[in-house]
Amino acid sequence: MATSMARPARRGPRRMPVLSAALCGVLALAGHARAQAPALPGFIHDGTLTVCTNPTLPPMTFVNGMDVNAVAGIDMDIAHTLAAYWHVPLVITTMEFTGLFPSLAAQRCSMVASGLIRLPAREQNFDAVAYQDTALVIVARAGTKPLASMADLSGRTVAVQAGTSYSARLARENEALAARGRPPIIIQQYPTEDQVVQQVLIGRVFAFASQDVELYYRQEQLHGRVGVILVPPYPEYGHFALYIRKDAHDRALLEQAVATLEQDGRIAAIQKKWAIAPDPARALSQPAPLFRWGVFFAALTSAAFARGAFITLTVAVLSHLTAIMISIPMALALNGRNAMLGLVLKGYVSVFRGAPTLLQLLFIWNALPQFLPIFREGWFTPFLATWISLSINESAYQVEINRAALAAVDRGQELAGDALGLSRRQVYRHVIFPQALRIALPPTMNAFISLLKTTSLASVISLPELLAVTQMEVARTFEFTEYYAAALVYYLGMVFFLLFVQKRIERRFAWADRHRARANEF
Amino acid sequence: MNSDLPATPDPDAMISVRHLYKLYKDFVALDRISFDVRRGERIVVLGPSGSGKSTLIRCFNRIEPHDGGILSIDGRIIDEQTELTQLRATVGLVFQNYNLFPHLSVLDNCTLAPRLVRKTPRAQARDMAMRFLTQVNIAEQAHKYPIQLSGGQQQRVAIARALCMQPRIMLFDEPTAALDPEAISGVVKIVNDLSAQGITTLCVTHEMGFARHIADWILFMDRGRILEISRPAQFFTHPATRRARDFLDQMISC
Ligand SMILES: Nc1ncnc2c1ncn2[C@@H]1O[C@H](COP(=O)(O)OP(=O)(O)O)[C@@H](O)[C@H]1O
Ligand SMILES: [Mg+2]
Repeated sequence: MATSMARPARRGPRRMPVLSAALCGVLALAGHARAQAPALPGFIHDGTLTVCTNPTLPPMTFVNGMDVNAVAGIDMDIAHTLAAYWHVPLVITTMEFTGLFPSLAAQRCSMVASGLIRLPAREQNFDAVAYQDTALVIVARAGTKPLASMADLSGRTVAVQAGTSYSARLARENEALAARGRPPIIIQQYPTEDQVVQQVLIGRVFAFASQDVELYYRQEQLHGRVGVILVPPYPEYGHFALYIRKDAHDRALLEQAVATLEQDGRIAAIQKKWAIAPDPARALSQPAPLFRWGVFFAALTSAAFARGAFITLTVAVLSHLTAIMISIPMALALNGRNAMLGLVLKGYVSVFRGAPTLLQLLFIWNALPQFLPIFREGWFTPFLATWISLSINESAYQVEINRAALAAVDRGQELAGDALGLSRRQVYRHVIFPQALRIALPPTMNAFISLLKTTSLASVISLPELLAVTQMEVARTFEFTEYYAAALVYYLGMVFFLLFVQKRIERRFAWADRHRARANEF
Repeated sequence: MNSDLPATPDPDAMISVRHLYKLYKDFVALDRISFDVRRGERIVVLGPSGSGKSTLIRCFNRIEPHDGGILSIDGRIIDEQTELTQLRATVGLVFQNYNLFPHLSVLDNCTLAPRLVRKTPRAQARDMAMRFLTQVNIAEQAHKYPIQLSGGQQQRVAIARALCMQPRIMLFDEPTAALDPEAISGVVKIVNDLSAQGITTLCVTHEMGFARHIADWILFMDRGRILEISRPAQFFTHPATRRARDFLDQMISC
């Protein structure tokens, strides 16, 4: 969960009347000022409006550009306008879609603004105030013949975003189809909206369900590759709404605020800014080429990709170094005589090799804070969580590499060191480790290359590493072939560089190879 | 070296052993071993495979700690309180398969221990190493790695490496096992040189000619016990025990 202080509210807190009065004058010129600040609703805690959002739904709420923390969209503009209306600062908190309502219930947000449809089912538990008209649309690839009714989707595959109400609505449609003895609509759920759209673009599913507002906005990115084939008569999908905890008084205040903003034209200005009106000319723009080299090279040279790759490499290097540090004493203990310690270590290795790395990552990030509140604090970042879980996970593999390498050093070497009067430390430092290092290097390098790719799992806990950056760029632009290709180039570049480094290091072990040792003579 | 020994170790002997025991679990590897070695003497240990020869000489630098009896080296009793660094500087050991450090050049093999244990400055350690490498006639290979050397050359490096700690006793575990006749005569010369310098040597060997050439005394072992201590002329012509006779017959027949 990323919390960011959005652009400061236009005014200081109400406790500062002097400044407030001065600003009043300025804002009056801009035509925004109110003679008097309106009454504050109860959901504004500590004088701050905290808005929770899942920024994956353009143009309502999304990450527009390279900065992950800069959430933009209609909902965000509405939130800013409301904060200005109440004269309070605004805090925007981003989270997983499924976490929005639980956070609202737990009073972690004042309000949820996340492109949510006003639905009777939701209104049983929360209050909703509509701010934007919309309609559900069924969208297919451009050129698909329009449908007459939802029944025509029978037997076809439709993609929807997981956690939205679309799948439940389609399931009801399926009941009707079943009653008439017709095959159901096949519903596929994907975690993000952009993946839903991709499935249609690549032709894997027939259509997807979306809101018209989104589609108008998306058409530019999609270069007219999709079109609306049906607008089903679902009155319940008619409005986007802001959600708050149930409170009749707060609800009235919010309704009044929205009504005021509608009257004075501020909401209309936002709508105009995001161009949410059907534009047939745009939909008919020329079809996009298969692969745009310009986009590919722009991605390749972008700061976002470079930073993503840097984070990938950094977290991989740190994790592996930590893993090596942990695993050397573990390997020595495993080769040693303490049976009890050996058993404990074998258990450690089994657990961390046995469990999926993704599960370990999610466990450290999500479950650990349940047991130890200290991990809920701000210092425990996704980077740190990734570092910790990958270090532990990798150490379970590295310990076996180290153990085998130490065991592969001839026992006579240790005896020879002893016989010369070297101390235990000196024997390990000067005789055994240098030889074990050479044996361990190739498998360690393999493990590192594998780890470098494993870091992509950290995108699920919002670490902006290379793959996460790629997915965010794809969500924004829909130029997935180009961005995937750029990510591929980065990963391959890193791996080939590592292999090159490995070759260079191996050259230093000429002593192990009779022929190369000869070449090194002087 | 003599056979009728007093009960206590001889403080003037270089090595003095009384009733030495060594056990591996419940297997008796060394059984009541007693003898004395004087300074500068050349001892050859003979005996069938598995008779405990390697175990015996490894006790002298405590690579294998003994389990009973008394061991005295250069007048000092060796037990668990012995300072091992000092003991091992006194007693050099050349392993049967040399155990050179493959990751170090010949020169570095020789200078490692003096630099780490004796804190000899690098330049001085190099000078000394070159001196001993010259003595064993391998100085021109100083910058090669062990893998580039023949068995005989590695053997000589291993001897030079041990000599760099300037020991007073040198133990050789089958120094001739993998060598051709020419190389064997090279080892004979080295051992004789060492003896002339006052260094006491003990060699385990299966090479009868080698034993005959260098030994002041032959020490014959079987099943962890010493069966015979005699002069080579006597041992090879009139062995006292039946086991020694059988052993010699076997050796000559193959
Ligand atoms: N580390 C050990 N553990 C158990 N038994 C051993 C060990 N080392 C040697 N032995 C046994 O002790 C006996 C003497 O071994 P060794 O001294 O190597 O014989 P030799 O050098 O005369 O061939 C052999 O039976 C051998 O199996
Ligand atoms: Mg042996």
